[in-house]
Amino acid sequence: MMTDEITRGIFEINVYRDFCKACGLCVAWCPNDVLAPDAEDYPLTPGLDQCTGCKLCEWHCPDFAIEIIAPGSEVVDVDSLVHAQ
Amino acid sequence: MTLQTSLTLRDYIRVERLPTTWCAGCGLGIILNCIVQAVDHRGLEKDEVSMVSGIGCTGRMSGYVDFNTIHTTHGRAPAFATGLKMAQPDMTVLTVMGDGDAMSIGGNHLVHAMRRNIGMVAIVVNNNVYGLTGGQSSPTTPIGGVSTTSKAGSIERPMDLEALARTLRAPFFARATVNHTASLVKLVERAIEVDCFALIEVISNCHILYGRMNGSPDAVDMIAAMDSETRPTNPALERRKRLPLRVTSSGTKIGADIVDSGDAQMEDLAGRGVIWDRTGSDDLSHRYRDWAKRQA
Repeated sequence: MMTDEITRGIFEINVYRDFCKACGLCVAWCPNDVLAPDAEDYPLTPGLDQCTGCKLCEWHCPDFAIEIIAPGSEVVDVDSLVHAQ
Repeated sequence: MTLQTSLTLRDYIRVERLPTTWCAGCGLGIILNCIVQAVDHRGLEKDEVSMVSGIGCTGRMSGYVDFNTIHTTHGRAPAFATGLKMAQPDMTVLTVMGDGDAMSIGGNHLVHAMRRNIGMVAIVVNNNVYGLTGGQSSPTTPIGGVSTTSKAGSIERPMDLEALARTLRAPFFARATVNHTASLVKLVERAIEVDCFALIEVISNCHILYGRMNGSPDAVDMIAAMDSETRPTNPALERRKRLPLRVTSSGTKIGADIVDSGDAQMEDLAGRGVIWDRTGSDDLSHRYRDWAKRQA
């Protein structure tokens, strides 16, 4: 039996507005309506509790602007990377 | 496991150059991400990897990665990569080219890099059009494809990179689209491993120029179409039928009977998208180094 229960709601999503170009790919590929566009087409996360961590948005983002964070995974502060230069 | 975006940015990307100059939704960013993931999966140090790129939208890619990078003249990326590989046979050389860069302006260099079997990973990003210069028709614009220089639809037969690679006996050829990201990572990973001339054609989207003139001005539509329009062909081989990835708009189909190199073995059960992989071939740079050692 390969019916592992899908875990929802434990993931966090970071959107880096400095890099995002509002192309809408992440919103279009999200299978669970986690993401929704705001007035300027930047992604918002109204359905965060439905996120299963499939990372389709992260993989389809051409601009390194969205990130799914599973509990316990290592994350770097991107702002500090930008300003370190 | 895939690398988190912020770790990718820290480890492999020149963050100060972001955001990229590419249009919103351009597949080149997805390809860049996939290449970086593949390098990470291989566990290569940044100093062991170099990226050579030509001119065009694709040529910008070498500016964003934190490897050894060369941004070369138009179409001459394989030539520069050949020199690099001869001097440093153990370096992983990633050559990134666009369709016009690789097949039109630099066609001769690509051909001879394939003929010599230089151990590089050549990634040809095929978006059917010259994107940077304003949407002129490129060697891969399909028949009927509207571009700035073919307003009534292209009447030329498009070039088939697969046929070229077959004729020149490139040891590894694979094809993916920017929609098949996981598969693309696997292909690049595998191409790095084979250590001979590995050619990957990546079908990308230019919705701003090509898509707008051909009825799908949206990146989402165009990438979604890649999922629906790609189909398995080659009915002669039932087992391979579901494996190779072909695109309906890529023009002339070729038979499976064109090439049969007796010494090399075709590997059918490769990952999805690998059209052929002749294992056991030896690239020129290592052969040259061995020869030079024997002379000394």
